[in-house]
Amino acid sequence: MSTTSQKHRDFVAEPMGDKPVTALSGIGEVLGKKLEEQGFDKAFVVLGQFLLLRKDQELFAEWLKDTSGANARQAASCSQCLTEWCDAFL
Amino acid sequence: MSEFLQDPSVLTKDKLKSALLAHNVALPNGEQRKGVYVDLYLKNLTAQNRRSAAPEPAFSSDEEPPAPVLSGRSRSGRKATRKTDRVRPEEIDVTELTNEGLKDQLLKYGVNAGPIVASTRKLYEKKLQKLLDQGPPETVVQLSEPAVTGNSQNGNTDSDQYSDKEEEATKAEPEPEPEPVPVVERPMRSRGKAPVTTRTRSGQHKIEKLSAVEQTPKTPDRDVLKELFPNETLNTPTGISATRRQPIKGAAGRSFSDSWRDDLRPRLTEIRHTSSSSSSSSYTETRSAIHRTNAVPLNALPLSSILKPAAPPAVQVKTRRRLPVWLQLLLLSAVAGFLFFVYQAMETNEMNPFGQSASSGALGSTSK
Repeated sequence: MSTTSQKHRDFVAEPMGDKPVTALSGIGEVLGKKLEEQGFDKAFVVLGQFLLLRKDQELFAEWLKDTSGANARQAASCSQCLTEWCDAFL
Repeated sequence: MSEFLQDPSVLTKDKLKSALLAHNVALPNGEQRKGVYVDLYLKNLTAQNRRSAAPEPAFSSDEEPPAPVLSGRSRSGRKATRKTDRVRPEEIDVTELTNEGLKDQLLKYGVNAGPIVASTRKLYEKKLQKLLDQGPPETVVQLSEPAVTGNSQNGNTDSDQYSDKEEEATKAEPEPEPEPVPVVERPMRSRGKAPVTTRTRSGQHKIEKLSAVEQTPKTPDRDVLKELFPNETLNTPTGISATRRQPIKGAAGRSFSDSWRDDLRPRLTEIRHTSSSSSSSSYTETRSAIHRTNAVPLNALPLSSILKPAAPPAVQVKTRRRLPVWLQLLLLSAVAGFLFFVYQAMETNEMNPFGQSASSGALGSTSK
């Protein structure tokens, strides 16, 4: 089995629909709150940002770090989560 | 020291704070967001930038010796002083570029940027800034390609970051400082990405360094191997040499005489001789034989009934046992005898145990 968390697997398993931003892998309560303050209150909005950056994991991770104060691990995890979701559903 | 940065967001928060403090700018209490410090910085210091355009060489000479001017500046205050000191043909202020301009600049570096909107602009500015720091677009295109093509791989981005650092370091000075950097990154590189060949700018001397360094670990390896295996005369292609294992006794048509030759079976001959002379069921002879042999493996005894042919003298090795074998056999025979006795005593008990216990007891004693 790969080293993905349960949260990651849950997110990638189905279309995100209206899930909150905290459903993303790597985004917990604190980061979720910060993102919501910025206007990213739903997971699909963050997805929008990811797509705007042309699905570039590195750029997206950097953006996430700047916007929410995530550390490298969390940002990478979220990046990976979104990439896999896009591969599956986009 | 003043840094006349156009885009202070490339600095870390700490650096911003220290720079602000150096200029006696009042910092807000507590931990603020980086943007706050960036704004303060811009307000206070960038304003100074416009005032003092002249003393650039003076500042640079303050910080570093004038000899390695170009590289020295880029080493210590790399993000800080480089932009304004060096005169570049392209625009140096990424923040003042239009969206279009920014996109074009990025395209020059081979970065296919997405739409530059409010939320993405800052990111692309930073990226362009980083690319500009690395130098003219032509040489950087090859650098960025592994980064661009390997987006989804974490490993690739790591190597890109390492390569950035390395670029700065080697550009700086021919000091021991860059030495550990390429040495450290050598294992990263040699993992099989082959970015060495793509580095043209600082590539030449680096390639030599890498090749030189790569030679050295190989030769110590060979010495170590030779030390470990001094008897390695066969030099098989795989380096594996097989040694014969002990043949299994009694298997594959191997008689026990052969197995004795190889194995360390002490005093089997004596047991064999004594047991062949007596009946196999009686333990006494074997016991007496074993009494002489201090330590014999226990499974020699079941074999003793089977083996008949003459055996060469066995190697006598003492194996440690808590109890001598004869003693174990003695105990075994005692227990067996006891059980036999009990069985015999209770055997003929067909009658009603409640009615005629006396007669059954008498029968039991008589039947024995």
